[in-house]
Amino acid sequence: MSLHWKVAGRAGEGIDVTGMMFGKTCLRHGMNVFGYREYPSLIRGGHNTNQIHASFEPVTCQQKHIDLLVALNEESISLHLDEIDEKSVVLCEATQDGYDVSKYASTGAKFFDVPMTNISREETGHFLSQNVVSLAMSVWILGLDIEIFRQVVTDQFKEKGDKIVEMNLRALDHAYTYAKEKLPQIKPIAEKRPNTQIFLSGNNAVAIGAVAGGVQYFAAYPMTPASEILHTLASLQGKYPLVVKHVEDEISAMNQAIGAAYTGVRAMTSSATGGYALMVEATSLAAVMETPLVVAVGQRPGPATGLPTWTCQSDLQFILHAGHGEVPKVVLTPGSAQEHFELTRLAFYLAERYHLIVFVLSDKFSLESYMSMPQPQLKYENERYSFAQDPLPEDDSYRRFEITEEGYSPRSVPGQAHGLSITNSYEHDEFGYATEDAEMTKQMNEKRQRKLVSVKPELPPLELIGPEQAELTLVCWGSTRLVLEDVVRRMPEGVVNVIHFPCVWPFPTEGFFQYAQHAEKLICVEGNATGQLQQLIRQETGIQIHHHIHRYDGRPFYAEEIIKELEELRE
Amino acid sequence: MSIKRLLTPALIGKGQMPTIFSSDQHQQKTVTPAQDWQKAERTEMNEVAAATLPDNSAPATDSPPVVIDPKPEKHAYINRASLESPYFPTWCPGCGNFGVWTALKNALVELQIPEQELVIVYGVGCSGNMADFNRVYGFHALHGRAISNAVAIKAANHRLKVIVVAGDGDTYGEGLNHFISAMRGNHDITLLVHDNQVYGLTTGQTAPTTDKGTKTKSTPFGSPEVPINPIGMALTADATFIARGFAGNIRHLTEMIKRAILHPGFSLVDMFQPCFTFNKVNTYHYFRERIYDLQQNEFEANHKVLAWEKTFDHEKLPIGIFYEDPYSVPFHASLSQLEEKPLTELSIAEVDMTEAIAPYV
Repeated sequence: MSLHWKVAGRAGEGIDVTGMMFGKTCLRHGMNVFGYREYPSLIRGGHNTNQIHASFEPVTCQQKHIDLLVALNEESISLHLDEIDEKSVVLCEATQDGYDVSKYASTGAKFFDVPMTNISREETGHFLSQNVVSLAMSVWILGLDIEIFRQVVTDQFKEKGDKIVEMNLRALDHAYTYAKEKLPQIKPIAEKRPNTQIFLSGNNAVAIGAVAGGVQYFAAYPMTPASEILHTLASLQGKYPLVVKHVEDEISAMNQAIGAAYTGVRAMTSSATGGYALMVEATSLAAVMETPLVVAVGQRPGPATGLPTWTCQSDLQFILHAGHGEVPKVVLTPGSAQEHFELTRLAFYLAERYHLIVFVLSDKFSLESYMSMPQPQLKYENERYSFAQDPLPEDDSYRRFEITEEGYSPRSVPGQAHGLSITNSYEHDEFGYATEDAEMTKQMNEKRQRKLVSVKPELPPLELIGPEQAELTLVCWGSTRLVLEDVVRRMPEGVVNVIHFPCVWPFPTEGFFQYAQHAEKLICVEGNATGQLQQLIRQETGIQIHHHIHRYDGRPFYAEEIIKELEELRE
Repeated sequence: MSIKRLLTPALIGKGQMPTIFSSDQHQQKTVTPAQDWQKAERTEMNEVAAATLPDNSAPATDSPPVVIDPKPEKHAYINRASLESPYFPTWCPGCGNFGVWTALKNALVELQIPEQELVIVYGVGCSGNMADFNRVYGFHALHGRAISNAVAIKAANHRLKVIVVAGDGDTYGEGLNHFISAMRGNHDITLLVHDNQVYGLTTGQTAPTTDKGTKTKSTPFGSPEVPINPIGMALTADATFIARGFAGNIRHLTEMIKRAILHPGFSLVDMFQPCFTFNKVNTYHYFRERIYDLQQNEFEANHKVLAWEKTFDHEKLPIGIFYEDPYSVPFHASLSQLEEKPLTELSIAEVDMTEAIAPYV
């Protein structure tokens, strides 16, 4: 039993808050929730949607078909005709907006022309509470608990003062009474379970994962779809030992993060891939300086400014190769909110322990969608790693870049006596002094590359989703797992399973061989045109995957569409 | 080593720098052949430098040393010997960098800074090559980016003194955005700009400070842009300490650097620094004929508009302090989370997630 709800309207009408409140209402019923947002790169106007999929069963993405559509204007119906049918209910304001719903009768959906704006105006003097009105009606139609929704509204507006809360509750009551009299109930959710989850975006999950991982300095420049990481962390200053700096450009963001990391604090930056492009030079700096660093990157379609508010997975090869010189790095590729949280936290440990730059590579679909995930622990402990002993020998014999078997060398930090050294962008000797010596150059490069061998046992292993044996084995990374999990659930048992890469670099060669040798037919599913994971697999294993499903129109995958393609492949 | 060889362009890079010392030689007190070679070169270089720098380089003793360290017994202060690295400069003989280097060392010694509490961030250029010649916590950055690294180093640990040593191409060209932002934020760093009005390390191209019409390797028909006005720019970006020095007047430059380091907030010292090899116009002689000391001419560094007028003076070139804000509050002091201790000393050993997850329940 799952419900699919969507609100659509012009930007500036509070579409996202509406979706968030509905998602939380479902969450507090103990359901799993997924919230998907679509919007153009505008502040006002343009068509915005927010879609919630909720169920007591696992939920990892949205689907095309909608049970209940809240249409705040006519476009909200006309642009979504393929998503509604005779099972759907549409709440609209046709009279108020001056159009006739009868022209959409062919969809078979039941249209209810309800006075959302009027109820809002009557109770609050303003149209803005129409979102609360539409939600109260939705709560009735879907048989949700109105008391839970009342609490969500109270929590949502309490920062704005009692008066605002009270106004909204008046609108809520009015709308709910109206709905009880005039609207039907479909798919009523009679059940309630204790809630043990939180509901947040991939961006939020990265941010609180960073907090759990002990982030202390965060510098960034805003860029969709990663700006929310900056917003979230900025709001947590004062509550945690954290400095967040919105800097002049991405170049500075990366260089500031490196500067802070050099002093011993845990540092991070984030951007979209376009913004990260400006950080490439400093990526190389972090590598030669052996500074721990975490970089969260959100993909969106390019080239150049591309489609700012849409999704893709077209920058895997870019991130793998970013940085001049041979830059050792770890590339983590989370999909679910929980993965975003856990892998970001892990990234801080890996970066500090191995003096590496660690990427958390995600995309618009994951970062800006809202997902439920188990509530994290209330306390996280952070040990500190790979610092030089204190005190250091008084004879100043300490060597910051000592050639070691494991590739990283315990680091001194400014302020520490007898740890003086140069942290150098030039190739250097063990003390950090610049060198052009052939042997030392070779040894330093080898030392840095050895870190990737050391770090490998600590990386998240490949994940097999679904049965061990299946007719078709789908291969994916990052956010695509969310949709493929749904594919596994929807298809007959034993037909498909999925190999998900939570970390693509260093490449999990042994793990992949292990899964691949049992696979009957491998199909790579990626949000790009060139098959970037497919290329990487061939490069690292020699395995040529012959089937693929690619999408590169800015839209996320839909389970329905993938299933259709898989059915064709099976014939 | 002959002077002729020292003048070859290859040396301006790292071409002739002695490469690896086997690691332990850094600590050896006995003289190795390599050190012997350095010593010989050092004497030779000093002679050249002395010949081309008529101004005496005796340390200024006007003001008493300011003690910054509350627990002096616990630390080793910077002194001339502690600053010595195993390498001697590869700069051309007569290079203005020698004057700047001497003044910087004078200032560091006179200010009695504990050696581990200083970080020098270097840009990339002839000036940045100073990284290998000072024994300090050094950070040799990317070209143009030193200021970004430096502001974060200071924000993360404000107990440190943070100095940026960079060139005019580095600061006013490649890194201009960071320069302006650091001033707007009043980050407590001291920026020493070697302003030689030419690109030296890349062997003589036009710089952002080169006069319009100057013929260089990259502008064989004359540089098409007017030069940047760094002091004017610093005034408009609300820098709280703005001064200019001259590599040929080490006593004065030492004072400027000391004042800059002691200033709480952003401090700029733009330094006329003749490049013997690639700038045949802006020489020691050129500057000596034109410079005058603002403070000796009763200029009070507390009025932005008057300072602004001075920056347009081309016949006579003012050095000294253009502007100083006595009420300056540095960036780190404006952050409440750093009130008690620097970020580096705040613990992350145990993180309570309650507040972080509250909005998502």
